[in-house]
Amino acid sequence: MIAPPEAPPGDAGVIGRSRDEPELFGAIFDAYFAEIHRYLARRLDAHTADDLAAETFAVAFRGRDRYDLSRPNARPWLYGIATNLAGRHRRDERRKLTALARVGPGAAAAGHEDAVAARVTAEGVRGPLARAVAALPAGQRDVLLLVVLGGLSYEEVAVALDVPFGTVSSRLNRARKKLRKALGDTDPLLDDQEGASR
Amino acid sequence: MDEIRMVREAYGEPAPPTLREMTRARALFTDEAPPRRRRWRLKAGIGLVAVGAAASVAIALTGPGGGGGTPGAPHAQVDLDREAVLAAASKAEQVPAGKYWYSDHITGQSYIMRTKAGTYAIAGAHTEFFRWAGARKGMGEGFWGRDLPARPLTAADEAVWKRDGSPKSFRVWSNDHYYTYTAAATDWKVDRPSAIGGGTFGRLTTRQVHDLPSDPAALAARFLKPKPGDAKGLALNTPRLKVLTVGTLLEELPVSPAVRAGLMRALARQPGIHPIGKVTDLLGRTGVALASDPVRNTATGEFGAPKAEQGTFSSRAVIVFDQKTGALLGQHEELVEPGGPYRAQRPGFVINYVLVRGLGWAESQPKPPARLPF
Repeated sequence: MIAPPEAPPGDAGVIGRSRDEPELFGAIFDAYFAEIHRYLARRLDAHTADDLAAETFAVAFRGRDRYDLSRPNARPWLYGIATNLAGRHRRDERRKLTALARVGPGAAAAGHEDAVAARVTAEGVRGPLARAVAALPAGQRDVLLLVVLGGLSYEEVAVALDVPFGTVSSRLNRARKKLRKALGDTDPLLDDQEGASR
Repeated sequence: MDEIRMVREAYGEPAPPTLREMTRARALFTDEAPPRRRRWRLKAGIGLVAVGAAASVAIALTGPGGGGGTPGAPHAQVDLDREAVLAAASKAEQVPAGKYWYSDHITGQSYIMRTKAGTYAIAGAHTEFFRWAGARKGMGEGFWGRDLPARPLTAADEAVWKRDGSPKSFRVWSNDHYYTYTAAATDWKVDRPSAIGGGTFGRLTTRQVHDLPSDPAALAARFLKPKPGDAKGLALNTPRLKVLTVGTLLEELPVSPAVRAGLMRALARQPGIHPIGKVTDLLGRTGVALASDPVRNTATGEFGAPKAEQGTFSSRAVIVFDQKTGALLGQHEELVEPGGPYRAQRPGFVINYVLVRGLGWAESQPKPPARLPF
């Protein structure tokens, strides 16, 4: 590393130095842009993600002076910014989920036939699942999607959303419970027929 | 049950950012040049509809006169099995050799307006999608979308709407908040047309679509049965979900008439799936339909829903086919037992819908229609 010995480790070192040498921030961009874009593209759509991922890094760049250099890993910080920006696109997210509930993704990539079969099977639960996700309070949805789509740990989610660790786990538990309920309730055979015939 | 995995799979895998977008994004903070563009944003992707030009699957209503069926007869039997396959078999060799596949869909959701003039339903979240794709990679593809006006759902709803003063905007409860839909339409906007795309439908290539089996049992085993590795305890193979699955396949893939017939037969044979005779859709087209066993739904006040939106109702999934051609006309969720938010509606009330407005093969690059569907 070129960083002087006293510089903080990891991303924090780069961000710290980028305060004087702005072009160094490009390393943060290069390391995380694709990942942040992917999170936003899944949560909203690819084209909104183009704009919001760009905005995420513009916001981060402008806010690099305020970055807490005791945190070596910039990932939660960037996901937090992206999540806040996504929160302003609530209508887009609702429409995404509405569409998700009705139709499968028009994925561009050619896939293996077995993967398609599996996907189509999974599509069956999309309606109730997407409706349940849409119905979650924003705080619970943010936690859920940071974990599911972003792959963040509870600690990272806590940093990203600036909430206590305990809040993360309780929100996630509540969200999961609602999803399970929504999915379980979709089986009319078990409820109506088999249940009645026993 | 692994709902975390289910959510992850449902969201799918997006296309990565293009080099151009990355360059632009990087320039945003290096060059202070942020020209934000407003573009049509695609919803998660309406696939191609797999019926149309090649339509040749006949569905006959059995009964007096062989194919008549009394309009409105509640339980006219649809002989999907026999007639569909015979007709499809005779036409199976006429697999279209078109160049460009296109599909035109309308999606909408019903919302309830409760006014002094009375209660009526409107169609909101109303969108039309138009997609085309070349049969082979490199022939290009394009994806268009436009918002359609929110509107009273049926003629009866329109009458109450007029008594209400024919408002042009509709504030309605949607999941966990109020939302206002308006009677404004937007222009068609194309979403990142690709000159080098084409040749894939959903996740299948043209070749893979072509190679699908036409045998109903093989299709059912492939698409309508749980797979090892599916999350345990999930209701993956309920009748309702089977209707959605077959509808999605027919919407996404340009399958041959034989495969289409096979999918229809496979669905018709599933337990919990019933022919329900003739159905007239929101575009005024009459077709023959299959429906799932109903599902009970309960809306609680958990997410802040007002009293009027709470309660229990049951609904079923309906898939509608053109009687003469076997073409998919659409699918919708319809009310079976009124209650809850739909306590003032009658059985058969359409809760949400996908209407297939047009699709098929074309010789030149297709363009979306200017005329509004309603």
